[in-house]
Amino acid sequence: MSADHHGSSAISERVRHVEALLEARGLVDEGEIDRRIDAFLAGGSPANGARIAARAWVDPGFRDRLLADANAAIRELGLSMSGGLQEQRLKAVANSEDEHNVIVCTLCSCYPIALLGPSPAWYKSEAYRSRVVRDPRGVLAEFGLELPESTRISVWDASAESRYVVVPRRPEGTDGMSEEELAGLVTRKGLIGTAAV
Amino acid sequence: MSRINDVGGMVGFPAIVEEPDEPAFHADWEAHVLALNAALIRRGVYNLDEFRDAIERMPPEAYLSSSYYEKWFTAITTLLVEKGVATAEEIATPAEIATPAEIATPEELRASEDARGA
Amino acid sequence: MPDRFAPGDAVRTSTADPVWHTRLPRYARGAVGRVVELAGHHPLADDRARGLPGTTQAVYHVRFAAADLFGDGDHAVTVELWEDYLEPADDRRGTP
Repeated sequence: MSADHHGSSAISERVRHVEALLEARGLVDEGEIDRRIDAFLAGGSPANGARIAARAWVDPGFRDRLLADANAAIRELGLSMSGGLQEQRLKAVANSEDEHNVIVCTLCSCYPIALLGPSPAWYKSEAYRSRVVRDPRGVLAEFGLELPESTRISVWDASAESRYVVVPRRPEGTDGMSEEELAGLVTRKGLIGTAAV
Repeated sequence: MSRINDVGGMVGFPAIVEEPDEPAFHADWEAHVLALNAALIRRGVYNLDEFRDAIERMPPEAYLSSSYYEKWFTAITTLLVEKGVATAEEIATPAEIATPAEIATPEELRASEDARGA
Repeated sequence: MPDRFAPGDAVRTSTADPVWHTRLPRYARGAVGRVVELAGHHPLADDRARGLPGTTQAVYHVRFAAADLFGDGDHAVTVELWEDYLEPADDRRGTP
């Protein structure tokens, strides 16, 4: 993966050099790079996806709206898929006893950054991208998720403009929990489909 | 022609490794690469599809041995040259001039396709 | 141009192996799947990658049985595909 320390300082220098060149050419404004980095880091977070899942658990009407038109439904929570170059279509897919969903982008690394924040390196790896379409049950088992044979697995490959989020199953024994507490149970892996929740 | 990025179903890759509490960026330069790409696309220097295309045109061994943001930076510099924004010499640091990167141009891809008799 | 396909239609993906950037994964070439839903309209990525404006056309979620893609497996794979990658297929049972 990444180069050693000597290599890292080389690429760091190359990036700095190109950035300076582009600033000199007027293609990048002064301070723009830092502003863009800050905006990126302040943008999405898995907490956003977790809120969506928790709302779907407590409100069946919201769940139906989410599965029918996720872009519209998430606006009810003050969330959106705008903020990039154009608003991306969001597809929410719900896990059930019969079906477990898992997301991948085999061709590159497409991912709902607006909702989940930056993607983890494993999601972008050739190892994950190559194997999850071919052997999802095996990949999920490696992540510690063993599903019954009776549960169908549905893999979604983000090959075009849509971005995907999994609505995990609500865990057992959570009846008394508030929506906020429920959201606290949902992990990034649960929203990608490589964990139960 | 099938490109190295098109790995769905391919065998032979190592085990999936999860890094606990992984940061968004492993080094500052990665964040700068992400931001540079966004700035250049916003300015219309190239579009997102051209950016993906440039990554995919990396030689397979370079693609597989490069980290995620190294791939991005390779694509950015490739496109800056191909779009005439800067020359390869202007983009290179002195250390790089000794070892230029090789990316197939679209013309080279078509020529090799023709040579296959496709 | 009206959309060519509707949910439930059986479609076959192209076997083309273009020189240029495309978004039909090779594992899904020449396979029969079923349209799950229309997923929007976008300019063809293949064109955009070559600096062309690109014909705006329907993109669909198409679901394939793993057995039809790989010869084995009991899972489904749904891929989002531009209309240009698709042709009508004979109706076929067994795709999820």
